[in-house]
Amino acid sequence: MQIFPCPFCGPRNETEFHFAGELGKVRPDTGKEVNARDWATYLYAQRNEKGLVREVWLHLTCSELFVMERDSLTMDVRASKSLRGDAL
Amino acid sequence: MTSHRTDRAGLIDRTQPRNFTFDGKAYRGFEGDTLASALLANGVRVMGRSFKYHRPRGPWGAWVDDPNAIMTVTLDGRSFPNCPAATTPLVEDMQARAVNAWPSAAFDIKAGLDLFHRWLGAGFYYKTFMWPDWHLFEPMIRKMAGLGDISRDAPKNYTADQVHDHCEVLVIGGGAAGLACARAAAEAGRGVVLVDDHPIFGGGLHQSVQIEDRTPSEWIADQLAAIMGAGGRVLPTTTAFGVYDHGLVGLAEYGAFGTAPHLHRMRADRIVLATGALDRPVTFAGNDRPGVMAVDAACEYLARYGVLVGRRIALASNNSLADAAEAMLTQAGAKITRISPQDGAIRALGGKQLKGLAQGLRRHEVDTVLASGGLTPLVHLWRHAGGKLDWCAARQAFLPGAAPDGMVAIGAANGTFDLDQALSEARAIGAGNASDAAARTYSLTPLWPEPGDKGRQWIDFQHDVTLKDVELAARENYVSVEHLKRYTTLGMASDQGKTSNMAGLAAMAAIQDRPLPEVGTTTFRPPFVPVPFEMYHGHHGKQLWHPLKRLALEPQHRAAGAALGEYGGWLRPGWYGTGNRGDLIRREVLSARNAAGIFDASPLGKIEVMGPDAEDFVNFIYYNTIRTLKPGNIRYGFMLTEGGIVMDDGVIARLTENRFVISCSSGHVDSVREHLEAWRQDGNNPDRIFIHDLTQQWSTVTITGPKARDILAKLPLGLDLSAQAFPHMTVQETQREETPIRIARVSFTGDISYEISIRSSRASDLWDKVVAAGEPHGATPIGIEALSILRAEKGYIMVGKDTDGETMPHDLGITIPRLKKKPAYIGDRSLHSDKANLPDRKALVGLAVGDGDKVLPTGAHIVDGTLSRSLGYVTSSYDSPTLGHPVALGLLENGSARTGEIVSVWHMGETRQATVCAACFFDPEGERLHA
Amino acid sequence: MRDDSKKWDAPGAPTTLEMSDGLTITPVQLARQTLLSGVDVLGRTQHPIAAWSGVVTAQTYALSLRRDRVLLVNGPALADGWHGDIAQAVSDVSDCYSVFDIRGDRAFSVLKRGAELRLDVPSKSVARLLFGLGVFLYRFEATDTFRVHVFRGQAETFFKSLKFAFPSL
Repeated sequence: MQIFPCPFCGPRNETEFHFAGELGKVRPDTGKEVNARDWATYLYAQRNEKGLVREVWLHLTCSELFVMERDSLTMDVRASKSLRGDAL
Repeated sequence: MTSHRTDRAGLIDRTQPRNFTFDGKAYRGFEGDTLASALLANGVRVMGRSFKYHRPRGPWGAWVDDPNAIMTVTLDGRSFPNCPAATTPLVEDMQARAVNAWPSAAFDIKAGLDLFHRWLGAGFYYKTFMWPDWHLFEPMIRKMAGLGDISRDAPKNYTADQVHDHCEVLVIGGGAAGLACARAAAEAGRGVVLVDDHPIFGGGLHQSVQIEDRTPSEWIADQLAAIMGAGGRVLPTTTAFGVYDHGLVGLAEYGAFGTAPHLHRMRADRIVLATGALDRPVTFAGNDRPGVMAVDAACEYLARYGVLVGRRIALASNNSLADAAEAMLTQAGAKITRISPQDGAIRALGGKQLKGLAQGLRRHEVDTVLASGGLTPLVHLWRHAGGKLDWCAARQAFLPGAAPDGMVAIGAANGTFDLDQALSEARAIGAGNASDAAARTYSLTPLWPEPGDKGRQWIDFQHDVTLKDVELAARENYVSVEHLKRYTTLGMASDQGKTSNMAGLAAMAAIQDRPLPEVGTTTFRPPFVPVPFEMYHGHHGKQLWHPLKRLALEPQHRAAGAALGEYGGWLRPGWYGTGNRGDLIRREVLSARNAAGIFDASPLGKIEVMGPDAEDFVNFIYYNTIRTLKPGNIRYGFMLTEGGIVMDDGVIARLTENRFVISCSSGHVDSVREHLEAWRQDGNNPDRIFIHDLTQQWSTVTITGPKARDILAKLPLGLDLSAQAFPHMTVQETQREETPIRIARVSFTGDISYEISIRSSRASDLWDKVVAAGEPHGATPIGIEALSILRAEKGYIMVGKDTDGETMPHDLGITIPRLKKKPAYIGDRSLHSDKANLPDRKALVGLAVGDGDKVLPTGAHIVDGTLSRSLGYVTSSYDSPTLGHPVALGLLENGSARTGEIVSVWHMGETRQATVCAACFFDPEGERLHA
Repeated sequence: MRDDSKKWDAPGAPTTLEMSDGLTITPVQLARQTLLSGVDVLGRTQHPIAAWSGVVTAQTYALSLRRDRVLLVNGPALADGWHGDIAQAVSDVSDCYSVFDIRGDRAFSVLKRGAELRLDVPSKSVARLLFGLGVFLYRFEATDTFRVHVFRGQAETFFKSLKFAFPSL
């Protein structure tokens, strides 16, 4: 079981976290016309990279949504910071 | 029977005899013996029969590397299957039985199978029994093969303790290197835990005469005292069975035989592997015969248990460690004949009883063959952690290469086979320094299986895989080691190939004429040795297996005779009373329709969204427009996924300008709360929206039915309940004895309903008052089963039952927001995809059957005329007590355009007719709802 | 659906559990629990703030749960809802959480059956998973006394989990 660093709580067991998505997904502004290709890319296209990845995770116990940098091959966790970008 | 016990003291306690039986025969051993050592001491060698050919087998190893001696052990009436004799401690009154043998290992009735070996090679069964159907033969074949039988009675009081722990340095293996390293680390101020799977530390040290001018036992005691004196912890009989992510090591700590091991989930900052090395077998004809044993095993049996395994011993070794073994065994009284197996093919003579060893034309009259093809470091845990292996030509072994984070290997596990060098390496690593490699004295001549050799040469003892099977696999092009493994089952038995993998790989390398390291190794996976399942589940059984949430009103429901069951993670009343379940539920439905039902709706979500941006946020979260909702009002709505799929339905109430209460489905509270939190922080301003999940703060009692208003009026709430003052889809807040009460007029039955919410500690009081007020009107408590029928009569859906992973809101007839809602909301764009616009989407319909027809089965398929395709299926179906005929809901392609159409409904070979109708069977005009 | 009433023990009234080695589990009745959410609510609270693994000694204190949320224990009565003047969301949660004190030399060892806990690793939040349940866990009044707030619907499960963790000691 892995240890993930929540930017607010510090290191916690992976069972306290849920994966929320790859970093960099920006929701298209659906107030305007969004073409099918862009929407499909937003919904379904995943980079699913091997090696260094940047992902968004939710810490279930404190609800902090944060960015975690980790290695998808070695499971090594490099860093995490709040999605809001501020230091906690 | 001759005793093989010598006067070498060993580590056993000769003042404590232990009586036991094996295959029904009585024997005696001593405290400190294992089953295998005690049997060997009594001259018993045949301790099991092989998996497939029922060949007689005796121990090859003296510890975890022994693949052969596997027993079912009964103690105090409890039986434990597949106990390895070499690691099972001897206990008074143990009854051991060899597995896969009847009536005994010595005289196994199925031994004749071995005569047919020529036809029973790898893949034989699958190739032979293809016609007419493998499944016809499978039971018989499975009965013939295999190892122990499991007892039908689960042992009582066999529960594993599970604890999380942490240490700075975990040293795995308590031999010379492990002890020295743990001591150095502890004395350097590190928090050390040292584990070893033996009851007595020391590893192979007990074979030595002296170490650093002390006897082995004195030296070991010195190290342990120093480790503990420096604050270290030592855990004997503890197996590190797996290494997992981020330095987590699974430790199984064994207590007395028959008790479940304790599981330590040890998180270690640093892991030192001092797991040692194993003698690997030499591949020769008859190398599986009882009496053929590892060189190191014979030394261990002598050193730890005082057992001399044979008197006339052939020592067939290719490496320099044989000299010490020869000296030790000779000193104990054995006559040793040295054989160089690399000088020519050897073969074992005899059957159950070993008669000798032949090399070319030379015959050696011996009773025991000790073999070693070199040492294989135990690198399992290294590989679990993702460490790399490097091939070492000098040692002819895979050694730890590039290290995983926080792990280091020392001693024999690292290929450091010489004691002095291992000690200096261990001490350097323990103190946190780099280790400098010293000179090596270990040497060997490469010795690997030679394809084409005559005779049956065993590669995998436990799964009966021979060199010929590997050759067959190669011929049939199963040449990758992972394919070889699965085709022949090499290394797939409970010993996971500890003694067989290297020989198998080397054989494949030789057959293909490739260098061994190029062939590679198969994947090492936990557990290192078999561990009981109990260790993994611990206390998570019975009520703690899948614990349910409990209602504040559970005592009231129990007192009312409720049948309780799981509904959406809660333990809830299904129905009340004793008697015929169907009748009881029917009566509840009728009382709700004719008078009123009283229902515990407490698990319904009560998630509050507050703050200046709350309105925009819920408008974004919901499919329906929420912005226009006025304080005091309630709206029904859907939450969608970004894919446009309905994920939850429910009502949302607006209490004030900046405060909403989301009443999501009972089973969806956790997922909806998470969904809201994620969207709040991603794309919205989290400083202006706050979400409080108050589901369990409040309990909710629902009164539903034509008498609901009369019953509610009896509670002194001081509210005007008239339809004008308190219409459908509105909410009122009041107080009673300073306790806030919230009443929402919403309905899940089609009849006028009030959901009364109160803080949970006051719920029982409210429940009692409502039940008392309802009684004169004929109102009764109703459970979920009745509610499910009531809502189906009205055509109200349950998300996940009447919808599936493709259902969009317009499939359920809620079309306006899709066409009109302007501001962005989750899933909006997906509702206009090509797929969403298809005319043949599955839509919600009602299904009516003819007079006197039975209820349609839920899950039945609606099919086209030729039965070639499913057009949809029945999602909810009941015999309606209210209407006196069956009602059903379903999802049907192009359903809304099919009203009036007669469709075929297929279930389990039977086809029936149904008429498509509107998905509402009761009060379609809603007069009762708005009354 | 079948009748599983017998499979589940009827929840009893919470009582103190005392073990032979002096370990006790005591249900605690707090005067009030209030959830407060708002920007910098941690900086603005007047009461001592409890985090992991410090020891709370006050009778009125605030549990640090999130960057923008505290649970005020035994604080004053406040109206539920959005308080625009202080920009805080307020909810009475006195009945939402059941509270237990686990006291004794072995208390920490028992809790380690339920989570990977370390006293030497501080955390700004007392919210965590324990025995698989979302709880607030902190030390109260003494270094050997641990206070747990658990959702009331899961109090029975929590109590059972603790009880099963005992005999193994």
